[in-house]
Amino acid sequence: MRVLIQLRPAPDVVASVIDPGVRSAVADVVADLPGVLLDEAFTPVAVPRPVSPHGDLLAPHQRPRFSMAPEDASVLVRGEISDGELSLRSALLSSSVREVAGVYADPYIQGHPTCGGDGPVGDWEEVRRLLHAYDLWSAGHDGEGVAVAIVDSGINADHIAARLGHDVTIDADRSWSPPGVNKTPGHYPVDHGSMCAFDALLAAPKATLLDIPILLSRQDGVDGLLSDAVAAYAHLNNVLRAMPADSRALVVSNSWGLFSPRMDFPPGHPGNYSDNPAHPFNVIVGSLEGAGADILFSAGNCGRDCPDRRCGFRDRTIVGANSHPDVLSVGGVDTRGERVGYSSQGPGRLSERKPDLCAYTHFAGSEAVGAADTGTSAACPVAAGVVAAVRTQRSAAELSPAQLRTLLHRTADDRSTVGFDHDYGYGVIDPPAILAALGRQNRSRAA
Amino acid sequence: MALIQVRLPPEATLSDALRLLGLSDEDADPDYGLVAIAPGLQVLRVTEEAARRVSRDHADVFSDPRIEPGDG
Repeated sequence: MRVLIQLRPAPDVVASVIDPGVRSAVADVVADLPGVLLDEAFTPVAVPRPVSPHGDLLAPHQRPRFSMAPEDASVLVRGEISDGELSLRSALLSSSVREVAGVYADPYIQGHPTCGGDGPVGDWEEVRRLLHAYDLWSAGHDGEGVAVAIVDSGINADHIAARLGHDVTIDADRSWSPPGVNKTPGHYPVDHGSMCAFDALLAAPKATLLDIPILLSRQDGVDGLLSDAVAAYAHLNNVLRAMPADSRALVVSNSWGLFSPRMDFPPGHPGNYSDNPAHPFNVIVGSLEGAGADILFSAGNCGRDCPDRRCGFRDRTIVGANSHPDVLSVGGVDTRGERVGYSSQGPGRLSERKPDLCAYTHFAGSEAVGAADTGTSAACPVAAGVVAAVRTQRSAAELSPAQLRTLLHRTADDRSTVGFDHDYGYGVIDPPAILAALGRQNRSRAA
Repeated sequence: MALIQVRLPPEATLSDALRLLGLSDEDADPDYGLVAIAPGLQVLRVTEEAARRVSRDHADVFSDPRIEPGDG
């Protein structure tokens, strides 16, 4: 987290910061602060001290005066503290470093981030450029032979093919539908699932899609129950185990989640889902990943700047399997690389370090749900496509799902300067860096 | 609806699970059936009223909340 640190150095140091004829640097004010990455580019700023002839510095109904005298004024410097150490470091700094008078948040004050109702930022061809998709394909990473399960509301293959300008492969035999939903893979109405399929094909156009329309299920007047996802994953487990053990490649993209705690048992109850790794869906997620599947979940659209109106969790909004330690939780950035305001922030409920990373969203794309492919719903399949592209030449036997997640963490384009943070995770997914890392692995294996 | 988790041999059927739990055919969703989530561990979908009658000695009861797509 970025912070402003208020210091009270010796009056002569403050005097030089105040002096417009002197250009002070951070090192002139403070040598080092433990646990803080000081921003050397930030020129220290002198801040006056409120004073009152009555001794009551900031009494209401009294207009304060301010003193910029070196013995009164303080100096602000800027830095960054790792999210995980924030509370401890802040307390330690204030208590153990004599010059530190306070540690304050330094939030971004840029224009409002991209929100749900905003128009598209860039288009799908720009996303392909940002993903360096053409470099992926020329290196043989185009998704051919890789199964990508779109667990959503069904795919309309004709619509996607028309938008992309090339054929789309749907594997009807390995697709599945929940009880009460006709099994017509690739022929469902154009909707959210078609957007997800389109976005997965941006990086992996030759992937084979498995159509898993769990969100079309209807039970007791409710669309889509978690039990449908349990049954879908049992099917995917069979699909995966039917693949030869040395060439397994199954990517599972999930752009859905639990928005409200109202239909769940409360955290702490043994039947709870949101916080409970023992819930059957969380168990089967771990089981499928353990068998070799790469599972991706959208982080959710409950970011603090502009949450979806359905968001019912007050804090820790990445819940249930979306925060599972064995999945890749995907947040969203627009094509400018800025986090979209609705992208859920960590920590997650099942695993602290969520989201894992971010991928592109909010661009003009499939035209399946409106002008823009929005939400972390779009970011998740964009990342799934990159994973499928990697899997073209690396089966789960060669690179386990856990190893692949580590590779994605390590190569992500860090959006802060201290590694992981709860807004962007490890950063924005970065296919050129992934290719470079795979190339290094190839060379070391050949040597 | 609720999810009931039981421990039965891999070849067990929904009828076996209902017998173990003391439930009738009407209590469960027959189209859903008995779904294996891990070796020897299965789930079935039952009404919430039936879930309340199930003995915790034989089974674990879990929530089956609504899930929704995320839109921006």
